[in-house]
Order: sequence, then C-alpha cells, then structure tokens
Amino acid sequence: MKENTRIVYVSHPASGLARSNFPLVCHIEDGEIVRILPYRIPEQVRLYEIKTSSRGSFSRSRKEVQMPLAYAWKQRVNLNRVEYPLLRDDWSPAAPNTKGRGLSGYSRISWDRALDIVVGQLERIKREYGSMEPVLVQADGHGHSGYLHSLHFWGHHLFDSTREHLGWGWWTQQVRNPDSWEGYYWGAKHVWGFDSTLGEPYQDAVWDDILEHTEMVLFSGNDPEATGLGMSGSTALEMIRWLKRAGIKIVAISPDLNYAGAAHADKWIPINPNTDAALYLAVAHVWIGERSFDEAYVSTHTVGYEEFERYVGGGDDGVPKTPEWAEAITGIPAHTIRALAREWAAKKTSLSVYFGGPKIRGTFSHVAARMEAYILAMQGIGRPGRQFLRTGAPSLYKQFLAQVPRYPDVDSHGIALNPIIAYAFGTGPKSPVFVPRTLAAEAILDAPIEWRGTAAALAPAADQFSEHRFPPDEGHPGIKLVWNENGSQAGSWSNGWKWLEALRSSAVDFVVGIHPWLENDILYSDLILPAQTNFEHEDLISVQRSDLLAMFYQDRALEPVGESKTDYEIHQLIAERLGAGAGFPPADDRLRGAYEETLAFTKHGISWDEFKERKEIVYDCPTWEEWIDIKNEYGFGPHNGGLHRFWTEGKGLETPSGKIEFVSARIAELDPDNRERPPLARWVENAEQKGSSRSREFPLAVVSNHPRLRFHVQGDDVDWIRELGKVTAADGYMYEPCWIHPQDAETRGIKSSDIVMLFNERGAVLFGAVVTERIIPGSVCVEHGAKMDPVIMNENVVDRGGCINLISPSASERHAEGEQVSIPEMNVSAFLVEVERVDPTSIQADPGEYAAIVRGDRQS
Amino acid sequence: MSMTSFIVDVEKCSGCGLCVVACKDEHVGSAYEPWTKPQPATGHFWMNLRSYETGKIPKVSVSHMPTMCQHCANAPCMKVCAENAINRRDDGLVWIDQDLCTGSGLCQEACPYDVIYMNAEIGVAQKCTGCAHRVDEGLLPRCVGICPHGAILFGDETGDVMIAAAANGDPLEVYHSEFNADPRVLWKGLPRRIVSGTVIDRDTNDVIQDVDVAVRDLFYDQVVSTVTDAFGDFWLRHLESDRKYQLTVKKVGYGEQVRVLSTDSDRDLGEVVLVRTD
Repeated sequence: MKENTRIVYVSHPASGLARSNFPLVCHIEDGEIVRILPYRIPEQVRLYEIKTSSRGSFSRSRKEVQMPLAYAWKQRVNLNRVEYPLLRDDWSPAAPNTKGRGLSGYSRISWDRALDIVVGQLERIKREYGSMEPVLVQADGHGHSGYLHSLHFWGHHLFDSTREHLGWGWWTQQVRNPDSWEGYYWGAKHVWGFDSTLGEPYQDAVWDDILEHTEMVLFSGNDPEATGLGMSGSTALEMIRWLKRAGIKIVAISPDLNYAGAAHADKWIPINPNTDAALYLAVAHVWIGERSFDEAYVSTHTVGYEEFERYVGGGDDGVPKTPEWAEAITGIPAHTIRALAREWAAKKTSLSVYFGGPKIRGTFSHVAARMEAYILAMQGIGRPGRQFLRTGAPSLYKQFLAQVPRYPDVDSHGIALNPIIAYAFGTGPKSPVFVPRTLAAEAILDAPIEWRGTAAALAPAADQFSEHRFPPDEGHPGIKLVWNENGSQAGSWSNGWKWLEALRSSAVDFVVGIHPWLENDILYSDLILPAQTNFEHEDLISVQRSDLLAMFYQDRALEPVGESKTDYEIHQLIAERLGAGAGFPPADDRLRGAYEETLAFTKHGISWDEFKERKEIVYDCPTWEEWIDIKNEYGFGPHNGGLHRFWTEGKGLETPSGKIEFVSARIAELDPDNRERPPLARWVENAEQKGSSRSREFPLAVVSNHPRLRFHVQGDDVDWIRELGKVTAADGYMYEPCWIHPQDAETRGIKSSDIVMLFNERGAVLFGAVVTERIIPGSVCVEHGAKMDPVIMNENVVDRGGCINLISPSASERHAEGEQVSIPEMNVSAFLVEVERVDPTSIQADPGEYAAIVRGDRQS
Repeated sequence: MSMTSFIVDVEKCSGCGLCVVACKDEHVGSAYEPWTKPQPATGHFWMNLRSYETGKIPKVSVSHMPTMCQHCANAPCMKVCAENAINRRDDGLVWIDQDLCTGSGLCQEACPYDVIYMNAEIGVAQKCTGCAHRVDEGLLPRCVGICPHGAILFGDETGDVMIAAAANGDPLEVYHSEFNADPRVLWKGLPRRIVSGTVIDRDTNDVIQDVDVAVRDLFYDQVVSTVTDAFGDFWLRHLESDRKYQLTVKKVGYGEQVRVLSTDSDRDLGEVVLVRTD
C-alpha cells in the first residue's frame, strides 16, 4: 500500500433492495481501484458466542469474506458501460419501429434531450390515456445498491410521486413475485402460516437449538457455498463449519452434488429434480408403517392428519406411497429411502435450506413444500434438535429474535432500513393496477389475463385467492410504455425469450432502460439512461445480510463513468421536470435523516458528521449470559430456538386453526376444486416430468441453480470469472457449462468440452458439456444468469451465451388462453429439454444475418 | 530471517476460487518491483485451483488443490535459467527477476509443478511470488488473507500457527516428493486412494448398517477398517496407490464377502450384496 492510497468502503455490488453484505475494502490510487480486500471486524467489537453443554462454544472469525465476484469488480467498473444517454437509431416518437428492438444500434444524446424525450413520452401518455396506467414499471432485480442509491424502487416511486403531486393517477406496478421462496409461499404457508417470513418457519435463536441438540441436518437443495456466500458472505460458510465441529451429520438431497455437498456433506442422495414430494411421501409411509413418528405432537399440534395418513397408505387412489413407488419417480433406491426415513426418525434431524434451492422453484413446487412441512410436523418440528434451518443471513426470518445472539434493539433500530423497498418487497402492491413479474410478458402479449394472488412477498396467505385481471377493464389501453431498471428479466425469470418478444411488441411505443451496462434486455430499450455502480457515489451502507449488523459510510471511490448518474438522481431529474420533485428531496437529507433514526445516533450519540469521519459502526453482540436473559423474556431457554414456542404451546400459527394443517382450511374454503393445490396436498403429475407425453420428445430435466461465481445475471462478463467458470470449446468460444452424466452423454455421443444444445418448444440455448458423475442420470445441471448472445444456427435463433432461463416455462403455460392462472408460480428449474451435440460450423454469429432472421426480413 | 512456509489443507478447500481472484486482483495491472511486473489481464493462474472428481454416483468425491509456486529449495527452474534470473530470498520465497529474464521459457518447461506462466506482452516468465511485497510489510499473501475456510496458511515455520497446523490431523507432506525439489509449500490431506461402497441385503431391499469393512494391504500388511453407517455406506479414504488390498465385508448373520482390489485407481464398488445365512 502506498502513502496516497485511499481506503473506501463500498457496498457489496450485487445485493439490491437497499441492503448490503459487509462492504468491500477498496484501495484507490490515482483514481483507480488497485485492490479490493475482505473486511476485518475490529477487535473492539464484541462477537457473539453460542455455548453448548457438551459440544463447545461457537463464534465466528473476524474475517468477513464475500463471493469471488466481489473481488473482481474492478474489472467490471469500466467494462461495457452505458456512458451517456443512448437513443436507438431507428426510434422516434412518431415511428417506434418496435421490430428493431434488440437489433438496432444506439447513438449518444445529451441528458437534456434524453430527459425531454422521457418527459414528452410521459406527458403524451397522460394526454392520450389520462393516467400512467399504461406504464409498466419493472424496477426489480438484484444489483448495485447502498441504502439510497438502489434498484427496486425509485421507478415505482417516481410514478407514485406523479400520482401524489400531479394527480396523474396510478401506474402498472410489476410485483416481484416471491422468487426465492416460491414453493414455501404458494404451498407451505397453507400448512403452517409464517406470512412475514414467506412460508419459512421462524429462525429465532435457531442456532442455539441446532448446535446443542441436532444430530443430523438435511441440506435440501441447499448450497451455502454458492448462494449463501453470495447473499450473506462468510457467515454462511462459518455455519457449515459449526455443523461439522458439533459433530452434526450433513446429508445433501439434491439432483446435483453441489459445491457445499461436495465439500461438506457426509452423504449425497441424488434425486430427480422436483420429485421431492414423492420422497417425502415415501418417508412418511415408512414412519407410519414403523410407528416412528411423533404421534402425540401430531394429535395436539396439527389438524387433518388422518386424511394424510389415508392418502399415504393409498386409501384415496389405491396407490400406497411406498419407497418402491417413490424410487420409480425420484431415482432414489428404495433401500436408501428407507434408510433415510429411519435415520431421520432415530436422530434429531433438522432440514436446512438457503432460500430453498432449485427444489422450491419448479412446476408445482408448492407440493414439495407442503409435503416437507407435513413430514417435519410428523417429527414434531420445534422439538429440541428438530427445526427448519436457514444457513445464512439476513435475519428477517424471525418472529422476535435474530438467528444468532443479537440485542433486540440493534435488530429493530440499529441500522437504516429504507422503507421504500416496500414497492418491491411488501404486503401488497401500492398501485391497484399491477401484474406479477411472472406474468409480465403475458400482460403485454396475451392481454387480457386473469390470475389469483398479488404475488407480493409479505402478503398474507389469504391474498393468494384474490382474483385479478390485467388490464383492469375493457377499453383499457394496456401496456404502452415499459420502464426497465436493471435488465435482468430474461436471464433470471421464466421464459426469457417470451419477455424479449414482449419488449418487441408493436403495442409498446417506448421502452426506457436504466442500467450501468449494455447487456441483456437493456439492449431492447429505445432510450438507455446511464446509471452508476456503487463505486461512483456516496451512500450509506446498511449491513443487514450478515450475522452482525453494521453501518458504513461509503465515500465516492471512483469518478462517475461518462455521464452516469445515480438511480436516485435519474428519477429525481425526471420528477423535477414533470413538476413532482417534491417526491425526491435531496439525497443527503434522506441519508442523514435515515442515519439519525438509528441507535448509533439516538443511543450512542455518534453524529452524522462523526459517522462520515469514522466510516464504520459495527454493533456489539450480547454476551451469552445477556442473550440467555433476552431469550428468557420471549419464552426461550438457553438451548431453545426456532419453533420452540409452537412446540410448547401447540397454537398461535397464522393458519385458521392456529395449528399445522395437513388439510388447509383456507384452501378448502376459498379454492377447494383446484386440482393443482387441493386442501390436502397430493402428488400431482405435470407436463415437465418424466413420463409426461412431452418427455418423449424432451427426455432430460434441467436443474438450474443460483450460480457459484455470478450473482444472478451479474458478473458473467468479468474475465477472471469466465476463466474460472466457462468451458472453452474447439471453436474457441467460452461456453456456459452444462453438467451431464456419462450415461446420457454416451448415448448422445457427447464428450466433455463438446458444444451441446439444450432445447424444447420454447427455443434453444448452447452450452459446453462437462461430463460428470455429479448429476443424476436423466437430468442436466446448468447455473442461471449467463449473458445472452443470440446467434443463428440452422436458420434458427439460438442463444450461444448459455442463458438457460430463456427456455424455462412460463406460469401461464399450463392454462388455456384467457383461462385464469390460479397460481402464478415461477418455474426456472426442473423443466424438460433434449440435449444434442452441436457441430460448431453450424453456428452463424454474423450479426447482420441474425438481425435479418429476427426481423423476418429473410424468407427461410 | 527464518523460513516461511505455506501449508495447504486440501480437506478444508471447497474450491470457491477466492484465492484465484484475489491473486489476480493483486497482480493484474500492478507491479511490485523487484519481485514481479504486472500479471496480464487473463491467462495466468499464479494461484491455480486444480479440482479432481472421482467415484461414481452417488459415491462421488471432489478434491480441490489450490496450487501456487511451491517455492522449492532445489528448484529446477533456477537450475535451467541461463540468465540466473531466478532467485531465492532468505525467507525461502523464490522470485523471477523480470529485468534479467529474456523470456526463453526454459523455466516454464523445467517446472514439474506447471506453475510458471509466460507473459507474451512483456516477454518474461512470471509466477507466484508468495506476495513477497506484502510479506515485507508484515501482511499475508492475498490467497491466505482471503481464504474463508483457512485452507491456506502462511507464516514463520517456527510460529504458533504453523506448529499448530502441523500437529493437527493429517501429516504434512510435500506434493510430488519424487521431484526432489524440496518445496516450501507443505500439504495436508493430499488425496489418496478411496475404496467405497454400499452394503445391501437384496432380499429385503434394505441397506445394512454396522457391517465390518476392512482392507489389508497385501504388500505391507497394514489394515484399515471401518463400519457401514446408517445408509449402509463405507468409505476408506487414505489408501496407498498401486497396491493390492484384500477387502473383507462381514457381519454376523450374513455370508462374508472377500475380494482383492488393486488401487491403481479409486474403487467404488457400488452395491455390495450380503446374503443372510440364518
């Protein structure tokens, strides 16, 4: 380090939602990032300690490390940036030439002209249609964010401000469906409630219970080495080490031997994707036959068990759900299913996820989640050692107390949490005119559409039965303008090709993109406004995605690239031009005001200026003795946590009966005839499964996980990340890897490093094969989020970049046109494809050819 | 100055790649004279994460070896350099003087660990310096500093951390001792041969727990034994390569299974069937 080196804390580059992991420690010399280091929690900060009676004490290292991409960010700051406002060459207000979106080039324009265009378009919408309802505001996705300058909400707030200050009416709010929790949300909630924690049981002091009592933890599609490290930093890895040190056996149940499974699991049980419900039914069958479940708990803490037992025994459909029955579906040998069931019953077993893994976002993942809740209930969930466990932060998954020792006042008032994220993560849409993100493409292409549920993350369970339509009434113009912050839809949501088709719809006159980089569906914009990365402005960093809470002051690390502005400033300028600037007070005022509501100011008396000077505030953790006292106030003993209170009380859940419901009273009342989600969960067949008629043509299932090296769709363009993660094929192109088992590879003549095409009716994507035993035969495994690179192959458009979400199913597919989508679930894993080896000479990367085919200029 | 060493613990490494990225972060675009000029933007892996997969589903094992320059005391690269450009510091770190280097590439060919990279842009050979520039400031090499699992240690070999690491668990060994290069990097948990399987009773279609599984080295007579776990699985992980082992699988009430295995590769036996005798 040189004498003139500036040290700047910068918010983790990927989080979004106004929250952060612990920051990056950036060394800046001569206006450039020289290196980025992990953070070290200062010696004077008191760390927590979890004490057990016989397994020792557990704490964390002071070293706080983020995912590899975080330390490669200096490569990306200047890479492929939107430096200036860019206007599409063949767009004009009079001639939008929508077919050119995704194909045409852009030219630089001034901010002045860009703002004029935006204002002109919004005023035109107001004039022609009377409100902003024809504007679809996308604004959600992970990405650069500090407290203030963040994605997810300023676009919504802009139109909320024009409503409030100009009387311009509502906008169409895209509601971010509960993507990370899908099956728990649409399914498990109806078994055990937990509305505020998206269907996942409370994590209050859970580690105190686990480390004291638990003997075995099932990692159900859980990969803390990938998702955990990305979303909450090294605390996720520390937690795995706790399990090992406590002598707790780890059993990984997943179609792939994922990174945590490979490094840490004692046993891998490969399972066909999205068949977990069948496994759980067979486990229940074993327990029922051997009477090895908690019958007392089931009778006092649950309702409707008898119906479930009858179903498992085959009383309803004549099919006993034996391990042999499940073997044919799951690919798990019956002997292993029996062994798992017996060990699960004999040992104090907890089940662990970190956002649910691929299991929780496949077709009918709500069935898997409900079955999981049923069998956790059969073993008395909440009993010491038997919990639902999340391996990582943040700690919003609680009723009263954080998952590790933390002072309650620090939890509630320690850090600044921006209330404005409610637009993206709240109890319901602000605007009465909205569409779930899973139906955004349909809202443009297939309107009118009908569905049930707002899909809002924190909505109560009954909300799932509310009925909605878009557009709200006949004669409504529908979507005429798309406001696209962040550009992640095609790579991280369902059926990306359809979303791109929607953007090219002739119904949409104007698409605004707001993003730092020229990538993904931002390239389908008519006007692109340049946004900054976290490195280019001051902000407050609220560390909530970790086991300790902290705040940092982020200086401006680098000069803004080109004419880029913060997300806040971009929307502020537009608001001001429209006359709604009152909705966007000065950034500094917001930051200072937010800081001054935290304990750092109110309790510890650290002024805003002092905070800006010292840069960091990391809150002390309670001593173990203090924590015992705190827990005692909430009815937890020293070694209790998780659902302990429900276990002792047998009531109080957010279900109609207050208990765990095998038969959901709410579904029975509000949606009893839903074949997909009946009052009692049942094994349901679907078109994306082996054995369906489609599976004759598309016999392999795709498992798609959160990536190890990317953060969703971010970072795929960083060379160091590509060197680590891509497969270089014979044509020299770096392909996204596709794991394929030797059996499936052999029958298709595929070897490692071959180029392979994964395809179904929705389209095709190219990958580099990795022949490996780490994936169950009959499935292939690819990570989501690769950057799109459309090319022509045999006269068809295919994606060479490996963006698998382009061909994943849409929520509407199972329904006839115009039919109500009863569960607008997101399905990005466990869907069918065929895989074929590709001859590289058939790939035509000529952009001119590509454009001609896409436009339909060329007759094929 | 006493000798410094690296200790790499293979069993702690999860293959996350942080060490690879941290090394690039430190060196791409930055020179640390005299120890090294900047690393090129891509193509060099002064920290090279080498991963190995073995076994058959579901008995798959994955090992990761974060492999840097081994900083050898008897380094082939030093012997072959015509410019005497490769030096060894008193603390044992080996570095290439890139002002003297003419880019012949002989050191790259000579290195038996494949840890030297040619920088075509500036015409020199380059490799891990042990972050000598950081060591001189009392800091740790970047790979060590960033590893979240503590899989890479560095320090004075007489210091507490290193002594504790040496005492704890697997013995420390040199990688490829047959190269006779006398490296300063010591390894723990280098992968050895694995014999694995699942014992089942085909008649009841159940796994069998608590089965005694033993292998006897037929050349050197050592016996390694284990019992099957709740899933009927057994793993014997620390076996020698290229030996012959007598495998016995037995449990009271079942017929014994005996086989001879050679460990020219790992052996996953899949399902091993025992038949009840009563």
